[in-house]
Amino acid sequence: MRRSIMLGSLLVASLAFAGSTFAADKIPVGHLAAYTGPTSGVGIPFGTGIDDALAYINKTGGIDGKQINFKTVDYSYNAPRAVATYKKWMSGLKPVAIQGWGTADTEALVKFVTKDKVTYISASYSGHLTDPTGISPRTKVPAPYNFFYGPSYSDACRGLVQWAADDWAAKGNSGKPKFIHMGDNHPYPNAPKAACAAYAKELGFEVLPSIVYSLKPADAKAQCLSLKDSGANYAYLANTSGSNISLLKSCGTVGVKTQFLTNIWGWDENSIKATGDAGDGIVWVVGAATWKDKVPGMKTVRAISKMSDPSGKKPRMLHYIRGVCGTFFMKEAMIKAEAMGGITGENIKKGFEQMRDFVPAGLEGVCLPSTWTAKDHRGTTLVNVYTSKYNGGDFQMNKLATIKVPRRMEWLGW
Amino acid sequence: MASAHSRMKCGEFRTTYEQDTTIFPTPLARRVAIVSVIFLLIAPSFLNPYFLNLGIQIGYFAIAALGLNIVVGFTGQISLGHAVFFGFGAFASAWLNNTTGLPVFFCIPLAGMMTMAVGLIVGIPAGRIKGLYLAIATLASQFILEDFFSRADWFTGGAYGAMANPFSLFGFEFDNDQRYFYVVLFYLVITFLFGTNLLRSRDGRAFIAVRDHYLSAEIMGINLTKYRILSFGIASFYAGVGGALFGHYLGFVSAEGFTIILSIQFLGMVIIGGLGSVMGTLLGTAFMVLLPELMEAGVGLVGHNAPGLTQALAYIKEMSIGLAIILFLIFEPDGLAHRWKMIKAYWKLYPFSY
Repeated sequence: MRRSIMLGSLLVASLAFAGSTFAADKIPVGHLAAYTGPTSGVGIPFGTGIDDALAYINKTGGIDGKQINFKTVDYSYNAPRAVATYKKWMSGLKPVAIQGWGTADTEALVKFVTKDKVTYISASYSGHLTDPTGISPRTKVPAPYNFFYGPSYSDACRGLVQWAADDWAAKGNSGKPKFIHMGDNHPYPNAPKAACAAYAKELGFEVLPSIVYSLKPADAKAQCLSLKDSGANYAYLANTSGSNISLLKSCGTVGVKTQFLTNIWGWDENSIKATGDAGDGIVWVVGAATWKDKVPGMKTVRAISKMSDPSGKKPRMLHYIRGVCGTFFMKEAMIKAEAMGGITGENIKKGFEQMRDFVPAGLEGVCLPSTWTAKDHRGTTLVNVYTSKYNGGDFQMNKLATIKVPRRMEWLGW
Repeated sequence: MASAHSRMKCGEFRTTYEQDTTIFPTPLARRVAIVSVIFLLIAPSFLNPYFLNLGIQIGYFAIAALGLNIVVGFTGQISLGHAVFFGFGAFASAWLNNTTGLPVFFCIPLAGMMTMAVGLIVGIPAGRIKGLYLAIATLASQFILEDFFSRADWFTGGAYGAMANPFSLFGFEFDNDQRYFYVVLFYLVITFLFGTNLLRSRDGRAFIAVRDHYLSAEIMGINLTKYRILSFGIASFYAGVGGALFGHYLGFVSAEGFTIILSIQFLGMVIIGGLGSVMGTLLGTAFMVLLPELMEAGVGLVGHNAPGLTQALAYIKEMSIGLAIILFLIFEPDGLAHRWKMIKAYWKLYPFSY
């Protein structure tokens, strides 16, 4: 009995202590990571990229000499836990910027970060985080403090459709190509569905009714047979990589000849290795340089990678490099904020909004040049279209094109 | 009668049925409950938003968990789809408020009623089947409603989710944690009093009779179908109210949040707290909400700003939550409510425990 009382008070004391940690003269930054939970497959490389980049920034002198005091919390892709963590931070850490993760939690926090003036950089590239003032009729809640690095989900899909139209013409085909959206009936796969289908129609595609396949990896031969019967020429896979692996393997068995297109979280080095030959020729969106690229900025990325892998031999995934880019854009915005009179959430936001075709120092060739303005938070509309080849394990990722998706006003927030 | 309690007594003696069915078993328990509510009423003035947030989470989850305890702990049925009723309440309240402009204050109980209507329909199989078969039938509601959430654009906003306005009463907005804490506390006290009261009523006794021996209950004249479906309806009402409070607190309701994992978590809260105990429901919910936070605090103490270590500790954290649940089931299968009774008995008999 006495022991349990002691244990209880110890736990309460440690909880109180944990809630009150703070550090003076440091820049407080929160990092909501998904190291566990359903999205951990891509959450681990992305989150490690952010952690390593922050550690590297601190090691190389911080922001004009100021160190970043960052706190990483694994919230397991659980939106209420993300909100709880945010509240905990606001009563202790008081972050000026947060590196976040999923769609549901990012959108749940939009109102909070707007009220508290905290700049929020998410790994959700959802189109409705792009309208800071709420001028678009589609916007339900303006998101003035939200930023993300890369093309929005909708713009990325539009880029793929544009590529498909070019590909159709280049191959000398005539007639109307058929486009199909495939994905689970979940918020993430559905996010670009309407926007992408509208653009496909505009480009002269016949848009077929979509096919549903599970986000959880499962046998998908039935869906592959429907796809074969539909006669679609281009199929957009809207799920994340795990379920795409199983779908492509199933479709390989069934003998589907459709050209597959997939999203930024839908394909990576691990999926190429896991899918083998069945994945050859898939076309997808890459948001930054790849590990093997010989661009000047990769020197910095390799130095960052050594923060958690001192040997420097571990190849890093696409998601890792995008995490680094997002963090370095934040760093540059902080430097601009410091010049404006102090690193506050409000000044970091203004720092972001001053960037025009900007690439963070040291990451030339790695990160896409990005532009944010006070009225438009679509950082970039450049879509790098890649294809992969398995080669018996020594896989290759080759760039096919860079599509510049038009920055139309009516697409803001969609 | 007034002097009865002032005189020295050597125990609690109940000589009438009325005394045996009071809401609080002893006058002390009543006083403790009243003092705790008063304490919670003044708590927002000194607790920081983090602790208030945890309190709010415990509040809305406990309301929903009490509903599940009525089905599982008191009526002896099983439900694997509690999370979707929680979600339905959240969407229903946001939808009512957004489309009709009705103040959130009224939307929450109305959302509870709407969820109850859905629960009564889904509960129909319970009138005919039992055990594992019922578990699978309730699983169906989990799948059907989850799919409905992501398809019904008019109701849930589909892929984009629904925005839920802050709780307001006559133009006064309860938009921060200090204020919302009172809202949740108000609903928590009302629903828990109602729950306790229900169980000492005719219907409540019927639920327990159905649980303890359905055949005897039927022979005694209890309409099994009616009470089984009713308990699903009441459980859904609680889930709906809890979900509505959750939705208006987060400000955003996404179809991603109401998976079977949450349904299982609700079952976990009820089992850890104690099946068939109103008090235990609250304890079990507090346990499930606070455990990850305590683990988090532990991780924070050990691994400060070391990226590699923090990541490894993240796994340890998740695993220890699982471990805690297993240890609980082995060493305290009757739940926290039983442990609480043991502690009380220990002090009551101290120092002569035998």
